[in-house]
Amino acid sequence: MSSQVISIGQPSRAGGAFASRTATVVKRVLAQLLKDRRFLALSLVAPLLIMYLLKIFFDSLGNLAPSRYIVPVGALIIHFLTYILCSIVLVRERKTQTLTRMFVNGFRRSEIILGYLAAYTVLATVQTLIVLLELAWMFNLNYDLAKQFSIYLVIWLLAVISIALGILLSNFSENEGQMLPTIPMVILPSVFLSGLLIDVDKLPLWGQLLAFLTPLYYANNVLQALIKPQGSLGDQFASLAGLLLYGLLVLLLATLTLREQEK
Amino acid sequence: MSETTNDIAVRIENVKRHYGHIEALRGVDMQVHKGTIFGLLGSNGAGKSTLIKILVGSTRPNAGTVTVLGLNPFKEAGKLRNVLGYMPQAPALYEDLSARANIRFFGAAHRLPQLDQKVSQVLEFTGLTNRADDAVGGFSGGMKQRVSLACALVHQPQVLFLDEPTAGVDPKLKETFWQHFRQLASEGVTLFISTHLMDEALLCDRLAIMRDGEVLDCDTPKNIMLRGNTTVKIWHGALVEQQTVTEYPTQLPAVLARYGLDPAITRLDLEQDSLETIMVRMIGQTAPATTVEAPRVTVSKN
Repeated sequence: MSSQVISIGQPSRAGGAFASRTATVVKRVLAQLLKDRRFLALSLVAPLLIMYLLKIFFDSLGNLAPSRYIVPVGALIIHFLTYILCSIVLVRERKTQTLTRMFVNGFRRSEIILGYLAAYTVLATVQTLIVLLELAWMFNLNYDLAKQFSIYLVIWLLAVISIALGILLSNFSENEGQMLPTIPMVILPSVFLSGLLIDVDKLPLWGQLLAFLTPLYYANNVLQALIKPQGSLGDQFASLAGLLLYGLLVLLLATLTLREQEK
Repeated sequence: MSETTNDIAVRIENVKRHYGHIEALRGVDMQVHKGTIFGLLGSNGAGKSTLIKILVGSTRPNAGTVTVLGLNPFKEAGKLRNVLGYMPQAPALYEDLSARANIRFFGAAHRLPQLDQKVSQVLEFTGLTNRADDAVGGFSGGMKQRVSLACALVHQPQVLFLDEPTAGVDPKLKETFWQHFRQLASEGVTLFISTHLMDEALLCDRLAIMRDGEVLDCDTPKNIMLRGNTTVKIWHGALVEQQTVTEYPTQLPAVLARYGLDPAITRLDLEQDSLETIMVRMIGQTAPATTVEAPRVTVSKN
């Protein structure tokens, strides 16, 4: 093996390097996901089982109009599952020092975050599709194709944001144990404050303010408008924009708070 | 830029680092010449890993400056990444991926042309070709260390930082590692190696002994060995006369001259302090070990 002399400070095409290194992270994470068959199977079976339990729950309620709740609850389940998807993985990377090694080898924060997000989005996309197909089949949701696509788009967007939120909060955890308490801290406010169970304007002011911090608040607003007979994506444009902005903000914060150096 | 400056691969000036109340580094100064093997010797908690982490840019110092090949690891990290290799103390590998996939992943960060060929080269260099496509999780500790070394080498760095690279490695593999290190140094690569193993430290071109975040001594292993004592045992039949000399190359002739060619002397033993004894003595001293004791001869009769 002979040593190669590399000229220091060699100019490189920044955009190309960014795309190439991000794609490298995506490929590596996907390869790891495919190797972990049990995780993959559980990730796909869990939403199926949970949706079936939801069907039993709604059937037992009888007189409760399911259409008001079914799709938003489907969104909540996706939010929950995708939030926990990759949050632990980055903590593990920090603990085993592979994250340090990535930085020393030249991976940048944005490349790592986007790489993880993109790889887990592949899994989240499949999960979202499973949930919506099962919902439509079990509850006989007769939406037209455009509406189905709109619902899918909103929930998929929520899934991607939930992954980013998981990454953001994992940046503040030193180990898996510290990450676990964030799961109820994120999910329970979404259940009670997002407008899923009761309208947000019936909450006290502090509750209404907290609702803005849950991505499900924005997604629920859009979905509630969408599931109405004449509803469309544009009906809750502000909430849709809010959801997008929320996602961008979380992604930006996740990138900025990923520590390149140890404390 | 002067020729001397060009010859320096690593420069460390008054580097301090603390973790809360604990002072991990208390003003470390060092210079490492290009193409040499530089060893950091010290017990656990001496500050070796912290210093290496600062040099690779993964921990910031609280004070002082470091440069690697004239570049600041924090301000010029982008330029430095392609010429710097790092093998952390832990294997830092993806256990569910193969050795090849791990090496390829870290190599891809450098956007190397003919990456697959370079991956094959380091696999061969580290003797991993036969297990290249096996998952790292099933490897022994020594095998993981080899993969970790290969990951640090794939982009053919000019400076290599190895944090206890042979920890948990069997003696045969350790010898192989050192053959690799010597080969790399002969090709102009600078190696900065931390260790707590004495035999390994003696293989370095220069050695810094650290204790509690301070450098006690920094010299060639040969010169450091001269700081130790040599016990001279002079046998007169069953009687043994024992003398302790420091700096034996200059003091021993004086001891021997005293006896001349005495036919009553039946045997002569020279026992030199080991590096471990020298280090333990240095660490035990309250005064900095850089003030070397003046040579003296002591005579004692058994």
